[in-house]
Amino acid sequence: MAGKTVSRRQFLKHAGATAALLGLSEAMIPSIAKALEGLTTSGKPAVIYLQGQNCTGCSISLLNSNYPSVAELVLDKLSIRYHPNISAAAGYVAMSAITETAKANKGKFVLVTEGPVPTAENGAYCTFGVDLGKKKSLENNQVPEDKSYEAWLKELIPNAAAVICNGNCASYGGIPFANASVTGSTPIPAFAKKVSPNTPVVNVGGCPSHPDWFVGTVLEALLVLTGKMSMSTLKANLDSEGRSKTFFGKLIHENCERRAAFDSGIFLENWNDQNADFKQCMFKMGCKGPVTYADCPTRRWNSAVNWCVGANAPCHGCAEQAFYKDFSPLYKPLPNMNFTGLTPSTDVLGWVAAGATAVGVGAHYLYKQLGNKPEEPEGGEK
Amino acid sequence: MAQIISIDPVTRIEGHMRIDVEVAGGKVTNAWSSGTMFRGYEMLIVGKHPWDAQQVMERICGVCPLVHGTAASYSLETSMGAKLPNNARVIRNLMLAANFIQSHILHFYHLAALDYVDVTAVLKYNGNDKALNILKSKIGNLAKGGDLYPFLPRYESSDYVSDPVIATTLVSHYVQALEMRKKAQEMIAMFYGRMPSFVGTIPGGVTTQPTVSLAAALAARVAELQSWIDDVYVADVLDTVANVAAYQPFLKVGDSGGNYLAYGGFDLNQAGTDKFLPGGVIYNNDIMNVQPFTTASRSKITESVKHSWYKDSTDNLNPAVGKTEPQVGKEGAYSFIKAPRFDGKPMEVGPLARMLVKKPDLLVKVAQAKGLLNAPLQFGILARHAARAIECKLLADEMPTWIGQFEMGGPIWDPKGEQIPNKAEGAALVEGPRGALGHWNSIDGGKLSNYQAVVPTTWNASPRDTNGVKGPIENSLIGIPVPDPDNPINVVRAIRSFDPCIACAIHVIHPENNSVKAFRVV
Repeated sequence: MAGKTVSRRQFLKHAGATAALLGLSEAMIPSIAKALEGLTTSGKPAVIYLQGQNCTGCSISLLNSNYPSVAELVLDKLSIRYHPNISAAAGYVAMSAITETAKANKGKFVLVTEGPVPTAENGAYCTFGVDLGKKKSLENNQVPEDKSYEAWLKELIPNAAAVICNGNCASYGGIPFANASVTGSTPIPAFAKKVSPNTPVVNVGGCPSHPDWFVGTVLEALLVLTGKMSMSTLKANLDSEGRSKTFFGKLIHENCERRAAFDSGIFLENWNDQNADFKQCMFKMGCKGPVTYADCPTRRWNSAVNWCVGANAPCHGCAEQAFYKDFSPLYKPLPNMNFTGLTPSTDVLGWVAAGATAVGVGAHYLYKQLGNKPEEPEGGEK
Repeated sequence: MAQIISIDPVTRIEGHMRIDVEVAGGKVTNAWSSGTMFRGYEMLIVGKHPWDAQQVMERICGVCPLVHGTAASYSLETSMGAKLPNNARVIRNLMLAANFIQSHILHFYHLAALDYVDVTAVLKYNGNDKALNILKSKIGNLAKGGDLYPFLPRYESSDYVSDPVIATTLVSHYVQALEMRKKAQEMIAMFYGRMPSFVGTIPGGVTTQPTVSLAAALAARVAELQSWIDDVYVADVLDTVANVAAYQPFLKVGDSGGNYLAYGGFDLNQAGTDKFLPGGVIYNNDIMNVQPFTTASRSKITESVKHSWYKDSTDNLNPAVGKTEPQVGKEGAYSFIKAPRFDGKPMEVGPLARMLVKKPDLLVKVAQAKGLLNAPLQFGILARHAARAIECKLLADEMPTWIGQFEMGGPIWDPKGEQIPNKAEGAALVEGPRGALGHWNSIDGGKLSNYQAVVPTTWNASPRDTNGVKGPIENSLIGIPVPDPDNPINVVRAIRSFDPCIACAIHVIHPENNSVKAFRVV
């Protein structure tokens, strides 16, 4: 984009393409055009990206973004003041970039978090940067004490315009949350509520998050921050798990390319016995598609090359709060597939599904079994 | 007078790392490496169905999930007595190679290159190359707005590559490399569903059968990557950066102490006796005398926790019986990373170790040309980058051969992988992009009763051991020139040359008594 003059018409086209590729609604195109235009003409919004008890998978996934590409995001769209994996700065120089950005952009910068925050032992289970006012000993030397991630968040969240939790771990605690009894691992929304109840927090599901889910969620947040969309519209578009319905509004099972196999009761039971002409359903191998809300079947991953079911593997439900613990064992069929009082074998289940179109009901029933509230899937009940 | 410089966060690595160095007379005289994040990740996996392991373990790390998930599958296969069909062996090699390629490209361009190239020199570019002028205009817009994040601020130094043509070319390669690493991820998605957090390996095999169209799609991307790796990546490392006059000392400066360890990886036969990257042990830079690494060698691995935040009662155990019981604030400790030792010695692992064991022709040629084979034998910062680039090329060049070994319609899975024994123990020692990786599992009552991993950065970034001996990164920093203590650029150049991955600092909590048990990775 940069380096050329872009006409209004071209811009609308560009914004339309961005909206379409991200799966945003057509109605949002004019406002996205305005937001994107704003980004390139009046300074880019400041973003501070921090990592807690993370694995960097969501950052690596973000590098796979296509439209906009990550180069475009970094050079043209966002001012990434700090990101642990891409910033040139290290040490004190990096710490200053964070604190100066927060000071100069009070109430205006977007804080992105990856991974939950551990609060046990005064935050000692995750630290970065140092607290120059405090000392610790290192052999016979006095050196500045480590600064906890918790302390950073306490400073930054109240001054952020919004917090975006990138991926399941930041949003819901993810795998590190399983060890909360030792490290005090806390999902970011719960932590933010405590330190700054009025700061808006938006979740992005996924382990990892899909780059489009993250970029699209950031765009939606920027629409609000630039006054192009109301906060109430944004909030109305979030589901009960705090995720944008744009990406997490549809049940995988209802959009799966192998749904016909499920309905016909044709299941994969041996990986050596695959039917290239009629790909088998992964239900018997533990597919969590019937209880997972995400647009993977249509969006697909890695430049739309493939997705989990496309690789003859079950969906593990990684976009859901219930991942991983409540979905284990991952390779066993979902429990309690109880349709209208029956507990059929999966063979019968295929028959029931085909004959009685009970799947929508079944999915909702299952959701309750797993302790989650179902969202109304788009497209209505069967 | 000596002073201590604390560098935290060490950025452009994976994870949370702090480095303290003592500087006297313009050089580092002492160093401490700390891993500062602990997740306690594997509490869930104990008591769970063994098949869950590859899905949970790959999430140790989002940069190298491929090798963790694959190692988990190999490890479970030893417990279940499953034998990989040839197709599965070949597909696993190809996918792992693709992950090495994405990881190595990412490392040089996106994690390391900003230590060498002056991005602001792009503004002085006066040539006619269209693509470079577009880049100049983009960077120019950023500079006009006074917002050169994330390229500035940085540690300032007089020796950044600032020739406008060379610098602009390197920065354009930084942008190209984003697309190239993306293509490498796409190769993995073809067979394994997606990256990161892939789904394509299962105990006993893989989930996707090779087809002619998949082979063709894979081969096309391999061909594109091969020529880019040759023309751009290898050339940038060996011909551009390694030829900068100011960087010549870094060929040898940053040597980790001369001990190298490789478990070996990429099985070329079903028995696993022939490996594309052979295993071996090198002591004291005696590179012509590589000791074999065998199953029996595994018992020589111990882990010290004297200077780590774990209870002293767990000091110097073999990983097969290892324990991990955290003790935050322990006197004399400064890291969540343990200190693994082989035969009591610290060991550098990774591409340099593997290339010194394998000694491919290109490496020998480069080492000769750069004077690396003249006494004293030392392999420093640039040797590490060169070894990584050469390894990347070797793997890319081998992939077409492996694609040719697909048996269309042949089995991809040994159903024995599904038969969970009541009681079993298994282990897989393999190679990941950053070096030697071990996964150990124990099964009891058909469930996982213990799981441990010892990962590459545990070896490289380890703190001092029980005898006070420094870890490889700590040792590599001794003697590093620090002309300006406010801008310790050479210190971070040395650290990043190891490609540290700290997220793997993970520990198992035993579900019954809540004590942390036998999983530590860093």
